[in-house]
Amino acid sequence: MQSALPPIAVALSNVSKWYGKFQVLTDINLTVKRGEKIVICGPSGSGKSTMIRCINRLEGHQRGKIVVGDTELTNDLKKVDEVRRDVGMVFQHFNLFPHLTILQNCTLAPIWVRKMSRRDAEEVAMDYLQRVKIPEQAHKYPGQLSGGQQQRVAIARSLCMNPKIMLFDEPTSALDPEMVKEVLDTMVSLASDGMTMLCVTHEMGFAREVADRVIFMDAGQIVETNAPEAFFSTPQHPRSKLFLSQIL
Amino acid sequence: MTFDPEFALSILPRILSTITTTLFATIIGCMGAAALGFLWEIVRRSSKPGRYTMRFLIDFIRSTPLLVQIYFFYFVLPEYGLTLPGLVVGVLALSLYYSGYLAEVFKGGIDSIPAGQFEAAKALGLSRLQLIMFVIAPQMLRNVAAPMGNYFVSLLKATPYLAIIAVPEMLSVALEIASETFRYTEPMTVVGIIFLTLALCFSGLVKVIESRLRLSPKAG
Ligand SMILES: Nc1ncnc2c1ncn2[C@@H]1O[C@H](COP(=O)(O)OP(=O)(O)O)[C@@H](O)[C@H]1O
Ligand SMILES: [Mg+2]
Repeated sequence: MQSALPPIAVALSNVSKWYGKFQVLTDINLTVKRGEKIVICGPSGSGKSTMIRCINRLEGHQRGKIVVGDTELTNDLKKVDEVRRDVGMVFQHFNLFPHLTILQNCTLAPIWVRKMSRRDAEEVAMDYLQRVKIPEQAHKYPGQLSGGQQQRVAIARSLCMNPKIMLFDEPTSALDPEMVKEVLDTMVSLASDGMTMLCVTHEMGFAREVADRVIFMDAGQIVETNAPEAFFSTPQHPRSKLFLSQIL
Repeated sequence: MTFDPEFALSILPRILSTITTTLFATIIGCMGAAALGFLWEIVRRSSKPGRYTMRFLIDFIRSTPLLVQIYFFYFVLPEYGLTLPGLVVGVLALSLYYSGYLAEVFKGGIDSIPAGQFEAAKALGLSRLQLIMFVIAPQMLRNVAAPMGNYFVSLLKATPYLAIIAVPEMLSVALEIASETFRYTEPMTVVGIIFLTLALCFSGLVKVIESRLRLSPKAG
C-alpha cells in the first residue's frame, strides 16, 4: 500500500488564524514530503503549537488551505475524523488517561476507532510497548510511571493507531533532564523507520541528527527554513540569530 | 403522653413493611437523577442553544420546591391523558429535581478534568460519544463521588414527600397509625430512627466508594 500514499504528507498554503482579533498565524506555507522530518523552533508564543494543532484540527484555521494526505481539512467532521485517524500527536504533558492502565491507554482507540478486536489491539500494543522499552509496565497506571516513561507510553499509544504522520509538541520540555534522552532516543528510532514527523522542540542534538529541515517561527510567521547544520551554525534571519544566541 | 417503647416496637414491623418502597424510590431515583443530570450537562456543553436551554431548565428545576413539582406531575399529567401510579410519579419527580443539582455537580467534575484529556482523545480519533464514555465520565465520577453521594443521601431523605401523593411508604404508614391510635410520638420516632439508620448506612457506603476511587491511581 506504500505506493498508494500521496508523496506530499502535509501541505499548508497561506494559512492564517486568529484568536478573536489577535492574529496567531500569518500566511503559513509549508509542504512536508512523506518521510520527511521537520523540526520547528522559535520563541514562546510564536505560534508553533497552534500551527501543528491545525494539522489535526485541534484548532481550526480561518484562511488558507491545509491538506493532509489527500484530505483537505474543512468543517466537515468526517474529513476531520479521517485525518485524525492518520495523524498521531504527542503532547508536552503526555495526556495519558489516568484512569486506564498503560495497556488500556494503548488499546482504547484501536478498539473503538479502528474496530480492532481486543486481542489484536493488545498484541499490537505490547509490540509498541516493547519498542519503547516498557512492556513490563503494561498493567500499571500512568501515575505510577516516571515522566520519561509516561512520554514513551504516549508515543506508543499514538503508534498503536498506525499513523502516517506524527506531531510532537515539545515532548521533552516537561521532563526532568535525565529523562530527556530516553524520549529522544525513541523519537530517533521512529525517524529511522521512515515516519513523517513534525516536531516542535528546542533539542538541537535531535534536530541535527534527524531533521531534514529546521523551521524557525516568530510572531506567527515562518521566518526561516534551513538545513539543521546551516540553521544552527549560520542562521540567516536576524531573529533566528537573536533566538539562537538566547538559547545557546 | 409519654413514649411507650412497647407500642413503638409493635408498630415497627408495619412501618418496616414499606421500607422496600423507600429503597426502591431511592435507588431508582438516584439512578434517574444521575442519568438525567449527566444528560443535561452533556447537552449544556454541546452547543449554544443547548447551553441556554439547559441553563434555563436547570435553574427552573432548582428554583421550584420539590413539593410543588410532585403535586404538579401528580395532578397535571393526568389532564394530558397520562395517568401514572403515584410511585412512578414520585420517582420521576425526585429524579428530575435532583438531576438539576447533579448537573451542577457534574459540571464542576468535568471542568476540573485537564483540557489535555479532551485533546488526547480527539487526537486519537475518538468520537464525541466515545470521548464522553471512556475518558470524561470515568474521570468525572472520580471527581464528584463525595458531592454526588451527599445528594443521594438527600434524595433518600426526600422520599417521605411521596406520602402526599398517597404512595404507601414509611411516613404515610406512620401517619396512618397515628390517625388510628392518636399517638404521634412513637410512629414519628420510629420513622425518624429508620431514616437515620438508612442515611448513616448510605453515607457510609458513599464514603467507602469515595475512598476506593481515591485510592485507585491518578496521573502524577
Ligand atoms: N486558545 C487561545 N486563545 C487565545 N489566544 C491563544 C490561545 N492559544 C494560544 N493563544 C496565543 O497564541 C499565541 C501562540 O500560541 P502558541 O501556538 O501556543 O505558541 P508557542 O507554541 O509557539 O509557544 C500566543 O500568544 C498565545 O497566547
Ligand atoms: Mg507551544
